[in-house]
Amino acid sequence: MQAEAINYIRFGIISPEGIKKMSVAKLTVPDTYNEDGYPIDGGLLDQRLGVIDPGLVCKTCGARAKTCPGHFGHIELVRPVIHSEFSKVLYAILRSTCFECHRILLDPKQVQALTDSADSEAHEQGEEAQRSNGRRAQVKGSKRCPYCKAAQPKLKFSQPTYFNIGDRRLKPDEIRDIVSKISREDLALLGVDLGISDPSWLVLSSLLVPPVNVRPSITLESGERSEDDLTHKLVDIMRINQRLEQNINAGAPQIIIDDLWELLQYHVTAYFNNETSGIPPARHRSGRALKTLAQRLKGKEGRFRYNLSGKRVNYSARTVISVDPYVDINEVGVPFAIAEKLTVPFYVTHWNIDKAREYLKSASYPTVINIIAQDGKRRRVIEGNREELAKEVAPGHILERQLIDGDIVLFNRQPTLHRISIMAHRVKVLPGRTFRINYCTTSPYNADFDGDEMNLHVPQTLEAQAEARLLMDVQFQIFSPRDGGAIIANSEDGIMGMFALTRDGTYVSKDEATYLLGIAGIYGLPEHSKNGMYLGKDIFSMLLPKGINLEAKTAYGAIKIKNGKLIEGAITREAYGKGNLLFERIVSDYGFDRLREFIFASSKLADAYATLSGVTVGVKEYAIDEELEQKRMKIIRDTFAKVSEFIEQYKTKKLEPFIGYTLRESLERIIIAELNIARNNAGDTLVKHAGAGNSAVEMARSGSRGNVLNLEQMSMFLGQQATLSGGRIKRGYYTNRVLPHIPPNDIAPVSRGFITTSFYSGMHPIELFMHAVGSRGSEVYKALLTGRSGYLYRRLSNALQDYYVRKDLSVRDVNNNIIQTIYGGDAVNPLMSRFEKKASE
Amino acid sequence: MTDKIDNEIVPLHALIEGKESRAVLADMQLKPENLPKIFSTDPQAVKLGAKPGDVIKIKRRDYGNAYEIYRLVVEEQ
Ligand SMILES: [Mg+2]
Ligand SMILES: [Zn+2]
Ligand SMILES: [Zn+2]
Repeated sequence: MQAEAINYIRFGIISPEGIKKMSVAKLTVPDTYNEDGYPIDGGLLDQRLGVIDPGLVCKTCGARAKTCPGHFGHIELVRPVIHSEFSKVLYAILRSTCFECHRILLDPKQVQALTDSADSEAHEQGEEAQRSNGRRAQVKGSKRCPYCKAAQPKLKFSQPTYFNIGDRRLKPDEIRDIVSKISREDLALLGVDLGISDPSWLVLSSLLVPPVNVRPSITLESGERSEDDLTHKLVDIMRINQRLEQNINAGAPQIIIDDLWELLQYHVTAYFNNETSGIPPARHRSGRALKTLAQRLKGKEGRFRYNLSGKRVNYSARTVISVDPYVDINEVGVPFAIAEKLTVPFYVTHWNIDKAREYLKSASYPTVINIIAQDGKRRRVIEGNREELAKEVAPGHILERQLIDGDIVLFNRQPTLHRISIMAHRVKVLPGRTFRINYCTTSPYNADFDGDEMNLHVPQTLEAQAEARLLMDVQFQIFSPRDGGAIIANSEDGIMGMFALTRDGTYVSKDEATYLLGIAGIYGLPEHSKNGMYLGKDIFSMLLPKGINLEAKTAYGAIKIKNGKLIEGAITREAYGKGNLLFERIVSDYGFDRLREFIFASSKLADAYATLSGVTVGVKEYAIDEELEQKRMKIIRDTFAKVSEFIEQYKTKKLEPFIGYTLRESLERIIIAELNIARNNAGDTLVKHAGAGNSAVEMARSGSRGNVLNLEQMSMFLGQQATLSGGRIKRGYYTNRVLPHIPPNDIAPVSRGFITTSFYSGMHPIELFMHAVGSRGSEVYKALLTGRSGYLYRRLSNALQDYYVRKDLSVRDVNNNIIQTIYGGDAVNPLMSRFEKKASE
Repeated sequence: MTDKIDNEIVPLHALIEGKESRAVLADMQLKPENLPKIFSTDPQAVKLGAKPGDVIKIKRRDYGNAYEIYRLVVEEQ
């Protein structure tokens, strides 16, 4: 692909000559069809404007309905009207120029200043600035002309198109005469892009009529014709135009002519924009407001946002997602109702023609919807032609076959922030109305099942299918391109189940063993049993690849896998996916397919065991006994004693300041560090004391949910509440205290947001207030941070999206410019870097 | 003052001959203007006496990984 640059787009106003040039017909009859139902010559559906009825031929280009592009016509208005969308521009020009000599109401000095600033701007910004007319003179209500010294009358403008001087109304032709007399130099100063626009063109004496393609009439079932809103409005304009002409020719009184002229102005205004402020919207007979030109383009349902930005995609489907742990991680459960509507091309060859016939002959579900012959003609397969087509089908034909199990599709959830927001899945047709996915794949999509919807796309060429299979398949996205860590992995209950099964002392009966392994898809039992009982580690080992070896240290303890058997240690989140230990070994020794199988099997096994054994967490897990309560109080007492000692040292100036900090800042840092130590201390004490029997602790240690800090805050004490800047809470009253209950200038821990109670025990009122300060702070911070960083990331990824790594490992853009001579400076693919450390080591 | 250009952490810059630069460009399937740029007023370019249109070879060591990159000398603008 070669990037083509657009130099500039220039917008102007169409001139009366431009209208004449564009128009193929002058329209004079304010009607559409004659009694025979034939388009009237010179009417609004004149055949020179193009044709929409299939039988007719365009009188301008000779083409038929499908190929004629349509042609513009025009109406000549007997009296000119103001273009309502530009009336404000006319107003600005009128009040910036003299009513007598028509020069700009700026003295030569002001003009010079304006030209200078425009020149320097143009010099700074280059040619573009000269073209763009960002130098519209701002002339404000000058009372006297600097050139002819004429006093300027007060011009009053009222929406949408009325200009008055005192009681006298300025007519459109008068306005046109005035603006025509302004010199080109003055117009340029006023910001008019001469050559492609001119203020006199804002007063219309002929009106362009869009081709019939733009406003097709529709035939109702009753045989009655119904015209487009634009046609209706154009008929109105032409009717008034005709009446105005008749009255002028008959020498009618000026009042009648003026009334009709104003009516003509109203209809033209409504034709451009039926929501113009200051006019009542034109209505249909039914009372519905007409949709005129501006309404077609504007807003959410307008041409831009609805039809251009919001184009619909074929071969795609969207519905709510829900979970199914028995759907493989590279599968997607597709509702039958969707599978029977979506199609996949089946390219008929010598080798698959029998299969093609089979699909064609089938009268029910996997069948063929359309058949495309070599010449590209598409025919619908129906009961009547099924047998005949099955006989005729030949290599080179393409069948559009319904979606079946195993078809490759792309699955996507918005916002599509990174490449793994779209992955390739294999179809699994299921009953029901929702897409089903394995919960291990929720994290790359950032999906949950509270009503989220996702999109599915069916690649329509063999190349696209192959590309999806080779690059986008779920199993190749297990490791994150960010850091090589696993993002598709079992989590929460699944981790707990695996941990409970594999920790020391877990045994299951033979019945349970066959049940568990059966669910994981393994039909067999471990070799060794003890009194008819099977070791949990041995059950887990059945899922591991034969002969795999791993020795590693985790926070929970060492794990040892020898010759495909887990011998020592329990499988925690760290050992499994997050720390990459097991995943990395499986993928490097056995490949992505085997890793996918392992994740799927282990998630099923873990869920089954978690269901079987059960894990209960209740408030009692967070209650602390007398002994722990004593330890908790001691930690707080000791810490407070230490802190007051430091405060004392500070007051007596004995404290040694840190380099680069004042004495007061140093004290603050010491206090914060001391309070932090207290919290960590409390956490360690809690874990040591509560020990192995506590399910909450087990949850944290296995990595299924929660961490030591959460537990500590629930059972021991909440600790220091921080502000956005990371410091202690100090703002409040002018006596330098947070609340009136605190002594002035007190900097003791409890006065500055340290909380000594836990979520379990409940907080004192002052502590609750401090907690609320901290919570609100972090909530605000989160809201600001996500918005800002999200936008920053979007800009970065959009800027980088077309760069690619060439086979010589250089990064290039579409114009072959070198962005990086060697990708990342080390040519390491982070996706592979965990098990291919060659370059970085 | 120490010479900032001769510091060991500043990558080695060298002017390459026309023949070599043509070979490099051919090897990378590049036109000269596709290369990253370096100003002729850059201290390194000044030291080497490089003129706009010349190509400078830079030996870098990132993450312990040694490699060469090439930059096209351009007028400062
Ligand atoms: Mg949701
Ligand atoms: Zn035509
Ligand atoms: Zn004047």
